[in-house]
Amino acid sequence: MNKTNASRPLAERAAAVAPEVSGLESPSTALWRYLALMGLAGLPLVFLAKDPYWLNIIAFTYLMGGLAAAWNIIGGFGGQFSLGHGVFFGIGAYATAVGTTTYGASPWLIMVPAALAAAAVSMLISWPTFRLRGPFFAIATMAFNEVAFVLANHFDSFTGGPRGIMIPFKAGFANMIFKERWQYAVLMFAFVALVIGVSVWLRRSRLGYYLLAVREDEDAARACGIDVLAIKLKGMALSAFLTAMGGTLFTMYLRFIDPPTLFTLQDVGVKFALLSLIGGVGTVAGPLLGAALIVPFENFLRAELANALPGINLAILGLLMVLAALFMKRGVVGAFEDLVAWVKRKFGGRS
Amino acid sequence: MSTPLLQTRSASKHFMGLKAVDEVSLAVNKGEVVSIIGPNGAGKTTYFNLLTGQLAPTLGEVSLRGQVINDLAPHQRAKLGMGRTFQIVKPLIALSALENVMVGAFLRHPRHADARDQAMAVLTRVGLGALAKRRAGELTLSERRRLEVARALALDPEIMLLDEVMAGLNQSETGRCIDLLRSLHEELGLTFLIIEHNLKVVRAFSERVVVLDRGRLIAEGTADDILSSPEVVKAYLGEGHQWTPS
Amino acid sequence: MDQILNVLVMGLLLGGVYGLVSVGLNLIFGTVRIVNFAQGELVMFGMYGSYYAYNMLGMSPYVSVFLVAPAVGLLGVLIQRLVIQPLHNESNMQIFATFGLLMMFQNIMLAFTRGEARSVGGDFGTVVIEIGDIKIGAVRLLTFVITTAITIGLHLFLTRTITGKSVRAVTQDKRAARTMGINVEKTFLMTFGIGAALAGLAGVMLTPIYSITPGVGGNFILAAFAVVVLGGLGSVWGAYLGGLIVGVVEAFAGYYIDPALRHAIWFLIFLVVLIIRPAGLMGQVGAEEVGFREQN
Repeated sequence: MNKTNASRPLAERAAAVAPEVSGLESPSTALWRYLALMGLAGLPLVFLAKDPYWLNIIAFTYLMGGLAAAWNIIGGFGGQFSLGHGVFFGIGAYATAVGTTTYGASPWLIMVPAALAAAAVSMLISWPTFRLRGPFFAIATMAFNEVAFVLANHFDSFTGGPRGIMIPFKAGFANMIFKERWQYAVLMFAFVALVIGVSVWLRRSRLGYYLLAVREDEDAARACGIDVLAIKLKGMALSAFLTAMGGTLFTMYLRFIDPPTLFTLQDVGVKFALLSLIGGVGTVAGPLLGAALIVPFENFLRAELANALPGINLAILGLLMVLAALFMKRGVVGAFEDLVAWVKRKFGGRS
Repeated sequence: MSTPLLQTRSASKHFMGLKAVDEVSLAVNKGEVVSIIGPNGAGKTTYFNLLTGQLAPTLGEVSLRGQVINDLAPHQRAKLGMGRTFQIVKPLIALSALENVMVGAFLRHPRHADARDQAMAVLTRVGLGALAKRRAGELTLSERRRLEVARALALDPEIMLLDEVMAGLNQSETGRCIDLLRSLHEELGLTFLIIEHNLKVVRAFSERVVVLDRGRLIAEGTADDILSSPEVVKAYLGEGHQWTPS
Repeated sequence: MDQILNVLVMGLLLGGVYGLVSVGLNLIFGTVRIVNFAQGELVMFGMYGSYYAYNMLGMSPYVSVFLVAPAVGLLGVLIQRLVIQPLHNESNMQIFATFGLLMMFQNIMLAFTRGEARSVGGDFGTVVIEIGDIKIGAVRLLTFVITTAITIGLHLFLTRTITGKSVRAVTQDKRAARTMGINVEKTFLMTFGIGAALAGLAGVMLTPIYSITPGVGGNFILAAFAVVVLGGLGSVWGAYLGGLIVGVVEAFAGYYIDPALRHAIWFLIFLVVLIIRPAGLMGQVGAEEVGFREQN
């Protein structure tokens, strides 16, 4: 298959536009791609900074994008489909809520220790369950989520039980409570920028490559000297850490948490996975793209239709999940890459 | 006589009464090329799995450089210098050929740039340099086999364990593969322990041949000796046959 | 002592319920080897089917079951053909797909019924039989009997009929079964259909006891997973026994420990079994795909 020299630059330019990081570029190229992606992601914030309705959606999109990207570290790169990330989200959330209301501490100070606690818990509960194959691992993580729900309801002296915890409004940077919506949106943007940045770094690091190898073929990974269980635990810990951070931000944004809000699978734990799937599971940009597509869309559904038809938003999301699993496994990013490959073939295949 | 590089002493693997491997003692010295042959079901791959750590021996010992490694997991043995390929080739499908080999290279080269350079060098060495960016899922079988050899090579191993690495290759591909292995042996001084069905390959690329039948080691010698031994012929073809080496 | 006996009986009857819900899941698990996250929703459809049959056609659940169960079974065949079969080697995508079905089914019913709970007439649900000091709900007793009957029936089907034997062959070794001329895809369709029909049947039978909400499937699915794993994939009697054990353990846990923590029991059982004895009590097949590998 010979490529003409003239068409090769076109195909390569098309590939260069892709916001996806492949793992093989030079560090500076990867950096530029990352900045371009985040720049693009930041545009809506810049243009819609005066509209409170859109600001809310944008802030939420960034937050969910970051949470999906955090899930993607173990679910996408590592191939371990956890449905239980709500547990880590909840740990961050409750630590923050209890810490600020009962102990008057600043969420900024709570955020990192809470995330570390979540990472520790993740390793503890994953260690026995990583030995289970795909679907059974998913069920076990689902069960952990249910247990967290039961525990949160039960230990109500600590968690406020079914009543939940409300954080009084007291604006101030140290409280992570802001008067202006746009400030929250910036905070969320910083979060997703952090998680995506970690993903870019991960994709090019040894840990990232080892996670991918474990995903593709555990026996082959072992033959390359990879301690499969240790790598899975590391990936999970990193993923849980970032998810818990998202839990902190979520809590300070809504200023109210209760067990259903945190542990309802379809809204939380599964949602992270769903966004990654739509965008492109295992890619760097996928989770953010998925969030950008789904969060505003679901908001629209909920606003317009949910009064007449409660739950219709989730029904449609469920349908999207089925369709994506059947027809668009590699998500939007995958579709884009296929397009680029098609362009290459069409214009590069002549001798 | 120096310590053998890889050795088993009366290694056995029993599966509920079936002796898949029955007291096999074998020593492979540094720099040697040893082939394991035998009819289907003889226990060759099971024996391999005892060497690589995928299975634990029921009885007996596996030693690397004189140290018993029975308790070491496969990834630990890979770190100690054992590279292996699989009977059914296992490429990391979603990754490019280069990234496949990088996974191996990262063992001794933790930094991205070093791993990539090492991987590119190894890939070129096995003749796949032009396909570096190609997704592993799109490679032909012959290319995948070479990719797997490259991935194992990237570990900087001392011994390569190849399980039927020529299976499914046509004649010219087989020839090229033999050339590649020979050149690796000569240039890098790599030790090879290979399972082979193709007796032509065995003759072309073995110093010593070992025959397994029904889990037991029934013969050991040079390629010529083994391939004309009546016991071996009997094991492969049954009684009353004569095999004329071509 | 009486109290213990009462709890035990309650546990056994609860076990009957769990067994009924799990028998279909077990069949699908064992044969098609997929985790059908939407199984609880098939039970839910059975319940709603019986409700609408009762309300619109005046049929008692014990009659409408002959309509509703096959209908749910047909849905199962469609699911297998359109969703599961195309994904036959991609277990991660199967998780997404069947979970997506769960979300679809649950929320479509939610939208349809606006979330109001329904129930089928209370004449059956309140009858209580007393043996000595032990009180037994008549419907629960009947459910227990039905579960036993279905288990026996399924066992006979799988061991005495040619079709059933082909299902077992596929359960044990797909490839070998294919070489014997068994059409594996058709077997999967049939098995999923039967498994779904059994779920629908369970739903119908449970309408006198449980109130019908879109989320009712979620009550059962985790317990069902625990039952199937405990009993062992592919073993009909294992699922039966597993149901009884889970029911009894849950009843005692609810009595002696906090009732709110009962649900954690399912999860504990699930995890403990998979770690200690992945094959479950009577598992014959698929354990190597379920639990641990030999090395880490």
